[in-house]
Amino acid sequence: MGKYLLKRILFFIPTLIVISLLAFVISINAPGDPLDRMVTAQDSSGESNSQSGNTAKEKERWRKKLGLDLPVFYFSITNIATPDTLYKIYDDNERNSLKRLINEHGNWEQISEWNNALHQLQQTLSNLKPDSLQFAQYGKNEVLDNIIEAKQNVSVLLYAWDNKQIQNKINELNSFAQSFSYFSAATADITNASNKYKAIIASPSKIKTLIPTINFYRYNQYHRWIFGDAGNKNGDDNARCRGLIRGDFGYSYETKLPVGNVIGERIRWSLFFTLISVVLAYIISLPIGIKAAANKNSVFDKTSSVVLFILYAMPTFWVATILLMTFANTEALNLFPASGIQPITGISEGSSWLEKIKMQLPYLVLPIIAYTYAQLAFLSRITRVSMLEVIGQDYIRTARSKGLSEQKVIYKHAFRNALLPIITIFSNIFPLAIGGSVILETIFTIPGMGQQIFHAILTKDYPVIIDVFTLTGVLTLIGYLVADIFYAIADPRISYSSK
Amino acid sequence: MSIKNQNTIFNFRQYAFKQFKHNKPAYVSLYILAILAFVAICAPILANEKPLYIKYKGESFFPAFSFKNNYYITDAKGDTTKIQLDITEWKQMQFEKVIWAPVPYTPGKSDRLNSDYKSPGGEQKFRDATGNIVSMPARFRHRLGTGSRGEDLLAGLIHGARISLTIGFISMTIATIIGLLLGAMAGYFGDNKLVTTRGRFWTVVLGIIIGWFYAFQVRQFNLQDALKTSSSAIIVQLMLSIVILTGIILAFALLGKLIGKLPLLNKQVNIPVDAMVSRTVEIFHSMPTFILILTIAAIARPSLTNIMIIIGLTSWTGIARLTRAEFLRLRNLEYIQAARALGYSEYKIILKHALPNGIAPALVSIAFGIASAILIESSLSFLGIGVPADVVTWGSLVNDGREKYSAWWLVIFPGLAIFITVTVYNLIGEGLRDALDPKQKK
Repeated sequence: MGKYLLKRILFFIPTLIVISLLAFVISINAPGDPLDRMVTAQDSSGESNSQSGNTAKEKERWRKKLGLDLPVFYFSITNIATPDTLYKIYDDNERNSLKRLINEHGNWEQISEWNNALHQLQQTLSNLKPDSLQFAQYGKNEVLDNIIEAKQNVSVLLYAWDNKQIQNKINELNSFAQSFSYFSAATADITNASNKYKAIIASPSKIKTLIPTINFYRYNQYHRWIFGDAGNKNGDDNARCRGLIRGDFGYSYETKLPVGNVIGERIRWSLFFTLISVVLAYIISLPIGIKAAANKNSVFDKTSSVVLFILYAMPTFWVATILLMTFANTEALNLFPASGIQPITGISEGSSWLEKIKMQLPYLVLPIIAYTYAQLAFLSRITRVSMLEVIGQDYIRTARSKGLSEQKVIYKHAFRNALLPIITIFSNIFPLAIGGSVILETIFTIPGMGQQIFHAILTKDYPVIIDVFTLTGVLTLIGYLVADIFYAIADPRISYSSK
Repeated sequence: MSIKNQNTIFNFRQYAFKQFKHNKPAYVSLYILAILAFVAICAPILANEKPLYIKYKGESFFPAFSFKNNYYITDAKGDTTKIQLDITEWKQMQFEKVIWAPVPYTPGKSDRLNSDYKSPGGEQKFRDATGNIVSMPARFRHRLGTGSRGEDLLAGLIHGARISLTIGFISMTIATIIGLLLGAMAGYFGDNKLVTTRGRFWTVVLGIIIGWFYAFQVRQFNLQDALKTSSSAIIVQLMLSIVILTGIILAFALLGKLIGKLPLLNKQVNIPVDAMVSRTVEIFHSMPTFILILTIAAIARPSLTNIMIIIGLTSWTGIARLTRAEFLRLRNLEYIQAARALGYSEYKIILKHALPNGIAPALVSIAFGIASAILIESSLSFLGIGVPADVVTWGSLVNDGREKYSAWWLVIFPGLAIFITVTVYNLIGEGLRDALDPKQKK
């Protein structure tokens, strides 16, 4: 048994890897720059200039903290013209323009020199200090405007890959350098940059872009997300990440706090409702299914079949809305509170557990009904079908012909054998319940994982979405494991020791 | 016994259809589905604020069918009147002749006079051609009531049918293609029927990587640029990439044939197709699908196409499993053995001989799959995730109803529509299962 369980757990590893990969791919493709989310929101009270030195420092800090200074994955397939350290250029647009240039010309040496020249030019331009004489000659505003325009041109060049656009901007810069004496300090750099670009054009090696190569990276964003920084000597000590497997879920864009803090609190409610409803569904549906199967084609069988079929096809969100509309509506029956899981005033500290239950119960009734009903219909139908299958077997006929009471035949001989498919269904119900929780928790405003993911989607808080997705995947697998254990208990025929 | 009877060959398809007909609920469901499909296809004619036909100043127009947005009408005096189709208040114009759509409203368009949830039976107001506000004439009543901005519910329901049925159909088409292919391969080849040489196997693997490199890595910027221009450009570039990919893989497969003859590399290897497909199915099966769809929908741009693709890509497992089981049975039947003995290629046997006979069990799964795709879509649009905000669907209508519980019609009617559609598909699925099950043969 232990060995069997171990085998099952090992079997989950590929699934877990796929789930984590999927989550990772989704998070990598999430639109927007995480650093912008992290930093601008924090600075919203202060100055709004996102290029200020303070912000740049803050961005650098978060970049380390989020591991964005690492390559994306264990390997990457590129062409031999692309250097394997391109990931170190953080700015998405700049990296993209470099990739385009490489794709166009294939000569990384010249391209990197061009890039360096641009950065140097940018530096020189921001250090440019026209003296009062030049101000007097050209007019102060015009001088400052021209310098700003030159800087913008360089910024555009950093993001550009189109030949025409680059030539235009270089020409503009050259004309600045020729016409205005206050650019004299930058003239050398401008000529240098334009020469570097000429060099790119002059010596293309396009063939290099057609030869594939594969780069391997020991430390990367995926590795860091799962396993943390352990072993990575280059990491910054202030930005240590312990990794998903040690319970480090990263940071929420919304609150800037570790995601783990939020989720731990919320997972309780989701599990509470899921488990209670699954247990309730089994308690109610088994007798119904058995009775219907034992008296096939009776009135009970037919009515229960129709009712359950109808229940099965009703969308969860509709039933929940109707429940609220009828039982928590001041214009209809106002029996239960419409939202939340406890009185707004909270439950006083000193009250006994009996009082606590009494105060919370009205809040729990409608959600539990809504959670239970969908699984109920599904389960009863499965029970009925599998009981019918068993009742048709020879050994049931034998049991009957031995003169056993109907009670004994049904519950002792038939039911135990019919249990197997019913247990297997447990593994189907669990993910269903977790998925359903998004809808139900949103409708009933239960502070669980489902509501969390809904809120995260609305606020585009991607780390939370990804973490909740990964966690529900793990929970689903645990559901499977539980089903397996029950299976092993219920069916003595299956030998787990050797296979 | 007549000669005619003797010669009748047992036809499973006819037999199954007869069985299906005996199942009354399933058979009736087929009719309801036909009605739903009719409503879905004709939705723009059934519910449209633009009249189907007008005669105005002596000229005839068909505004509901028009692709133009402006009509220029010159009367006898030479004055030109302009009608801009999308902003005209049609109900206040006076035409010589007019034929309205059965439901003269467009979904999601507000009706200021009847805003703030007017009930189906309650008082509704109408501005007539002279500009007076009068009680609603029977022809223009909002028969199922209105929403917060006075949107007509019935029009929303009719157009919602179009969206729901399309989502169910297209997503299941995607799922069916994937499921049938993988299931058929897994069932037919099993773990030891697809035999190749070691050299060829690795050459093809290498070919896939290299093909991917040239098709998608080298051409990534062509694809990126196409994404920004137009959808036809994307299709052209994507097709080109796929052609390159298949071309390279085929070339490597041919090369592999030669390499497979070399010593050491000519060792026979089994490709465990069944194990690979079964593991993939298990992995997909144990994934929280709804949360996955939700996650992707949250990150991708809201669009119905995305939702169809996502649902299709995640719901093929049931079809693959059933097809696999059927093919496991089929591959040992005499006629397949005979085809193999005659020397047909494996792919011809699978596609031409096995697939037409092995498709039946998948039909059941497809019917249930459509039902669940519709449920998923309506849940998503109920939550307002992944579906564009201006698209009216059954789920989004129920969500509108949540704002005000006294507007019961907004919750009841769209919910009923979802319920009926899902039930119809479920009943058809059950009917198919019973009809195709040889155990129940009478």
